Amino acid sequence: MSDAPDIMERAQTEFERAMLRNIKGLDYFASPAPVLGASAKETLIARGPLRFYHYKPLVDDVYRVPVMLVMATTNRGYIFDMVPGQSFVEFLLKQGFDVFMVDWEAPRPDEKHLSIEDYVGDFLPQCVAKVAEVTGEPDLSVVGYCFGGVLSILWASLYASDNLKNLVTFTTPVNFEGMPLFQAWSDKRFFDVDRLVDTLGNCPAEMLYTSFDMLRPGGRIAGNIRLWDNLWNDEFVKSYRMFDRWSADMLPLAGEYFRQTTKQLMWDNALMRRTMTVGGREVDLSRITVPFLHVTAEHDHIVPAAASEPLIDMVGSTDKQAVVLKGGHVSLVAGGNAIKRLWPQIDRWLGERST
Amino acid sequence: MTTPTDPMNMFRDVVNQWEKLANEYGSQLLARPEAAQAMHSVTSAGLQVQNAVQEAMSKVLTAANMPSKAEIETLGQRLTAVEASLARIEAMLSSGGNAASPAAKPKPTRGRKPAPKA
Repeated sequence: MSDAPDIMERAQTEFERAMLRNIKGLDYFASPAPVLGASAKETLIARGPLRFYHYKPLVDDVYRVPVMLVMATTNRGYIFDMVPGQSFVEFLLKQGFDVFMVDWEAPRPDEKHLSIEDYVGDFLPQCVAKVAEVTGEPDLSVVGYCFGGVLSILWASLYASDNLKNLVTFTTPVNFEGMPLFQAWSDKRFFDVDRLVDTLGNCPAEMLYTSFDMLRPGGRIAGNIRLWDNLWNDEFVKSYRMFDRWSADMLPLAGEYFRQTTKQLMWDNALMRRTMTVGGREVDLSRITVPFLHVTAEHDHIVPAAASEPLIDMVGSTDKQAVVLKGGHVSLVAGGNAIKRLWPQIDRWLGERST
Repeated sequence: MTTPTDPMNMFRDVVNQWEKLANEYGSQLLARPEAAQAMHSVTSAGLQVQNAVQEAMSKVLTAANMPSKAEIETLGQRLTAVEASLARIEAMLSSGGNAASPAAKPKPTRGRKPAPKA
């Protein structure tokens, strides 16, 4: 008998939610997606797929050392700049950092020849030189996300000199044998990467999107059910739309770059085996000796712990720290989880090392 | 809101359980060599068709005295170079002929220190 009022109350709540679902469901399909990546910025370099931004500082006195975010080549950089109040860029700016971002556009068909060497030995050094030119500072902190982290450590081990002050990586893989599904799907017995690249030029974004989506075969259906269940909740819907738009907004990869990553990283696991070369130069991560922070996510289904954990031991820095935070591959860097967990840690760690 | 008989919460539990199982068993299935082989067979067939179409189109374009895909791509490269030059000229013009325009903007000072630890 004591449950009766609860049940009535619950039924009423559900009835109201059902009504709201209908009304807001119409809104969902009729209204435009939220504007993302809107923090004020200047485009410093637009060359090939590279877009290099400088964000407008929000305080009068910034840390001496500027921060350069390096985005993964498969996704858009606005994951770091979703909407006001949920933007990592805005957070850093408010904490007093001078923020730059290496972002990417889709490589055009005639850019299929771009290789890892172009990204690591040409694009990143150009961005680093631009930061020095704009700020007048000789060094900078680099923060790489996912494969942006791989590019960052490759650059740091091969091309950085005194210009690198601090290095931070988020969910960055080094042991590609620790990504079992990607390993299975790129099995060289079945996957002819040469044929794909030689035929298509660049690796299509749709193919990459499908691969990422298949990592969680039940994720999309369950996600849609949860969206329906929460259609009455504006905050949930807003967040869902932001992340859904970002995850679907994938970029194709330059053909040669895709061929190299498949052969060197997926097939040969060359970074882990210390046989990786870029432009004929051997990559030795022990050459990285600057303060190093390696952040991974406890429930990362894209870059599991087995793929990312070994990095901390491979880097030669004495001031180095590995941090495992709750969350997944994306929720580590954006959304409520990131605001609470990751961002304050980055502020503290970088702040102490940015004077 | 969390009564044991709450049908919506039971439904949410079912969805969570289903997702967990679908991810677990789906991943196991997709990790099998047969799955990779099947996936790439489909991709390979698609590539074969695309190759054949490309070759046929190339012959047709040559016969019709039309530019090929490679020639359009080369044209695209040259257009990009022109765009880059235009961007540089625009930047110089907007800065009054001085390419190093960012230096002219007011900049924040760079003396910030981290807040003392509590």
